[in-house]
Amino acid sequence: MIQFKLNGVPAQIAADAMLVTYLREDIGATATKIGCDIGRCGACTVLRDGAPINACLVMGWQIEHAEITTITGLETQPAGRVLIKAMEIENGFQCGYCAPGVMMSLTGLLSVESLPDDAMIEEALEGNICRCTGYHSILRGARLARDMMKDTRR
Amino acid sequence: MKITRPDSLKEAAKLIATGGVAVAGGSGFQLEFSQGQTPPAQYVPIGHLIPKGIQGLTLGAGTPLEEIRHANIPLLSKACADVAAPNVRRLATLGGNLAWGKGCLIPALIALDAVVETTEGAMSVLEYLKAPFGIILSLTVRPLEDNKPKSTWRKVGLRQAFTASIIASAGMMSVKHGQISGLRLAVGGGATPPQRLYDAEAWLLGQTLEDVDLTDLRHRMRAEISAPDCAFRTASYRKRVAAAGLVAGLFGAPDVPLHKTTRRPTKMPLPELTELSRSAGQKRWQTRPDMPAKVRGKLLYLTDKREAQMLVGRILRAGRPHARILAIDTSKAEALSGVKAVVTHRDIKGLNGFGIVFQDQPALCADKVRYTGDPVAAVAAIDEATASKALSLIKVTYEDLPVVTEARAALMPDTPLVHETGNLVTEVSHGRGDTELEWTEAWANVAHIVEETYVTPRQMHGFMETEGGWAAPEGAGLLICAGGQHGARDQMQLSRILDMPTENLRVITSPTGGAFGGKDELTVQPALALLAQKSGQAVRLHLSRAESVQAGTKRNPMWIKMKTGCDAKGKVIVQDVDVLSECGAYASLSPGVLETAMEHVVGPYAIAHYRARGRLAYTNNGTCGAFRGFGANQMTYAIECQMDRLAGLCGLDPVDMRRRNLRALGSPGVLGQAVAPTERLPEMLAAASASRMWQPFAVKEDEWAGVGMALNYQGNGLGTIPEDEADFGLALKDGKIQALCGLDEMGQGLIASLHAAVSDKLGCDRADIYAVIGDTKHAPDSGSTTAARGGYVVWRGVEETAPAFQAALLGRAAQILNCASDTLAIVPGGITKFGLNTQTPCLTFADLGDVAPVQAHYLFPKTNYTKGNARFIFAFGATLARIAVNRITGMVRVVDFEMHTAAGPVMDMASYLGQMEGGLVQALGATLTEDMPYHAGHPVARNFDSYMMPNVKDAPEHIRVTAHESLDPEDPFGPRGAGELGVGAVAPAIANAVADAIGFWPAITPISPETILTVMDSFTEMDNLTTMEGRA
Ligand code: FES
Ligand code: FES
Repeated sequence: MIQFKLNGVPAQIAADAMLVTYLREDIGATATKIGCDIGRCGACTVLRDGAPINACLVMGWQIEHAEITTITGLETQPAGRVLIKAMEIENGFQCGYCAPGVMMSLTGLLSVESLPDDAMIEEALEGNICRCTGYHSILRGARLARDMMKDTRR
Repeated sequence: MKITRPDSLKEAAKLIATGGVAVAGGSGFQLEFSQGQTPPAQYVPIGHLIPKGIQGLTLGAGTPLEEIRHANIPLLSKACADVAAPNVRRLATLGGNLAWGKGCLIPALIALDAVVETTEGAMSVLEYLKAPFGIILSLTVRPLEDNKPKSTWRKVGLRQAFTASIIASAGMMSVKHGQISGLRLAVGGGATPPQRLYDAEAWLLGQTLEDVDLTDLRHRMRAEISAPDCAFRTASYRKRVAAAGLVAGLFGAPDVPLHKTTRRPTKMPLPELTELSRSAGQKRWQTRPDMPAKVRGKLLYLTDKREAQMLVGRILRAGRPHARILAIDTSKAEALSGVKAVVTHRDIKGLNGFGIVFQDQPALCADKVRYTGDPVAAVAAIDEATASKALSLIKVTYEDLPVVTEARAALMPDTPLVHETGNLVTEVSHGRGDTELEWTEAWANVAHIVEETYVTPRQMHGFMETEGGWAAPEGAGLLICAGGQHGARDQMQLSRILDMPTENLRVITSPTGGAFGGKDELTVQPALALLAQKSGQAVRLHLSRAESVQAGTKRNPMWIKMKTGCDAKGKVIVQDVDVLSECGAYASLSPGVLETAMEHVVGPYAIAHYRARGRLAYTNNGTCGAFRGFGANQMTYAIECQMDRLAGLCGLDPVDMRRRNLRALGSPGVLGQAVAPTERLPEMLAAASASRMWQPFAVKEDEWAGVGMALNYQGNGLGTIPEDEADFGLALKDGKIQALCGLDEMGQGLIASLHAAVSDKLGCDRADIYAVIGDTKHAPDSGSTTAARGGYVVWRGVEETAPAFQAALLGRAAQILNCASDTLAIVPGGITKFGLNTQTPCLTFADLGDVAPVQAHYLFPKTNYTKGNARFIFAFGATLARIAVNRITGMVRVVDFEMHTAAGPVMDMASYLGQMEGGLVQALGATLTEDMPYHAGHPVARNFDSYMMPNVKDAPEHIRVTAHESLDPEDPFGPRGAGELGVGAVAPAIANAVADAIGFWPAITPISPETILTVMDSFTEMDNLTTMEGRA
């Protein structure tokens, strides 16, 4: 068994278990979503040591001793808290099924890059498909989060 | 799968030699497995053994691509930005991209003349690819020695970003004293084999830069490149975009002749428009009640339910397009330990058929399968692995039948029948009832005719949450929870299948992670119900994307042949329309879709003479049904392109042309039916005329710009023939005002609309309200959440119930306070007394105790026309698109959208804006990238790797949406439907914009970049403007 941390809590996963399957099927952590299973939609995005990756492309052996953060742990991240506020204000989502993935991709960006320009925000979202919004409400939320972070820095 | 982590490269090599598969980032494997490759028995992780990181121009094979993307390596960093998406690039490694053999980066590595260091020695990229021995350790790139070599990189895919590579090209060139002194040209990526273009290089070397004959060069490259055809692009397209890309990248984009543009409209006075945005909306912009849970991942979707002892269900699909079932043997599956239920058609006590229009679709196939996704059996087991294993143990014996692969062929005599009733599902005809003589005369009197066949795609709904949910025994019956759009109808259909009274079935359909019409029909509910019934346990079932792609309904493809004639002044006189559509294996709502398309056959225009016929055919190509727009958008594409083309012929601008042809306000609809007041077509035209979109705008140097418009005209509700009724209620319970409404929240903002409508009417706060929705036990039957009818249902429900409910609340408060109820009023949080100058209510809602529901039953407004299905209420709009046509790739990019809408008062601004923006981009997908082609009855795209929904980079840079909210003074019908308006006129707006850019109206969607290139090639051949005149 592989040891890792899931949202700060020690956890174990089989070396050949896909992370998204482990989360949704084995331990019932269904806050993380699944939309394609081949790395093409971003619904399963989680942070591995702070950087967004696709949980449907990563097996247990790839996260040994890693810190995995899912949407459930979002509020433990400073950037995550700002993003939550901003997305609420801008009404970033519709059905919300893409949200757990989108929020993690953006939190990954905002955590390392507190003042990303619009192009960086868009690039960070390239792997996340949203079928409902046409992306603009998500982009508005992301930009507002950036601006709010700017304000707190001043 | 065994994971063996070697301690040394030597050990790794040994494991690989005995069948283990080396894996570093592992990002590509899942995709390969989904495309049919068998997963290996053993993985050999090598990431910890190979070098990582970048030193100068040497890159460790284990370096993630995302690191290289930000490292400023010439050519390579730029190339990395085009590989997958950042999150995948964090896993993918440089060595992996090369070792895979199809990596997009390979042409860049060849152009950089990279040296590949492996455990077997050093070699060039091409040498490695020819004989890929050893484990790759590092790559050293060697840019041409020059202080500033020119370099170019271009990856052409199927959309703007995160796409499989159709072809990638890379080049590097150094120039000394005006002469080409060094050169490396390469192509490859995806299905295109990596290749260095030695002949072209030899031909160019030594030439003076200015003297290179670029046309000759392009031809030479095209001849030299070897590239395959695939299901999405031809070999010839690959060659030409790679050649053109290399030439443009190294020598600059070619000069091109001017093109003819659409006339710009004269500005008309603007109607009153509400700007839909947070800043302009101010107090009208509120956080949707469902948002806090959604942004925190706290909303439990129906596919997220987990409980101890819950079984996992799986469905066995036919996997073949057309076959007779000779036998189904489930004995081995049933004997497998851990299997709790196996169901087949033999377990169906009631009617083995469902379908909203007619019940031609089996819950589980008995004697025949008609498409690859047809369900034959289902199992419930203790876990996913056991369920999958059980599926593989079910033995179905088939006798394959000839496959009906095409709608036109389906209607020929002697074509095999998909259903015994014949392949023609329905035929719809109408017209103005001209005699032959009148008809001939009408055509004789026209000055201009445009005739075209418009083709629209089999679009996939692509909701992010695939079909699924759970079911469990409840009382004497069952509880079935699965994303849907009309719980009461699902309940009725299930009761027929199970032969169980509806009272014993409780259906929960909300929340749903997107539907767009694709969850209107039953999906997994029959299998779930049968499994829960047979096992006596709770069962969950969630389709994988691959299964959803195969089994789910799609948009009906249409072939719309339209011939339209107008007089010299632009008055359209006569139109002939012939529509062919297919529904695949089962009808579902397709007959309604066709009828709706036919109802929009003249658009919002008055055309004195028209004839129209539409036919719908069964085939074995999947199955089609409801999809946002419901046929109207397909027809709008045709009619709105015809308008622009005729305008061009008459020398009119698009607004003027439409103005001359608008239907007279208050006149009967196309079928002669009465229509509702508040027609806002002139206002929408005026808004379009004054749009800033017509101003010139910047595009990239290899693009051409164009602007186009189209009018939206969308019937709301189900029409005259289907029952279209609703129940609604307001109650007070536990201190909350309950809005009881059986519609579904699929993301469109039902809950927000309920909160907005109730609070606006009663004067309470939005937070005082609790929406009870999507549950047949607790919410009344409000009809389906489709056909843009939800807005009206909510508004009318509140109008009907609020007065009595308010009286009940105030009456109760008056009793408690011992005063007259007319001295009281509802305020946020409770009840106050008039004249009390305080924000805090003197009674909270909780103080009032519970108040029983005040209920209403009402009909969706209809006309009395019953000879066909006709709409009474319409919503209006104007959609404008600014586009850029890429001269190298032929791909169209939408730069800006602007949409003006007239759908009555906006209830919740954020939800309304979201519906428009989402609709616009969803329709952009159908216009530019989305289609689900079938080959011999099998879908060509299996997942999101080849089915291309718009990515964030495909979305336009700007979207502006406005609403004209006014209603006619006596209009009693309130807000119109917003759900379908956004998608309605995108395809023609884009097509008209393409015509503005290149003088050619694409009639087939998604627009083929190859067709665009062919058209543009013809310009360079006839390079003077006079010949261009003939093209309009
Ligand atoms: S489920 Fe992982 S990217 Fe789609
Ligand atoms: S909000 Fe539905 S997929 Fe993004």
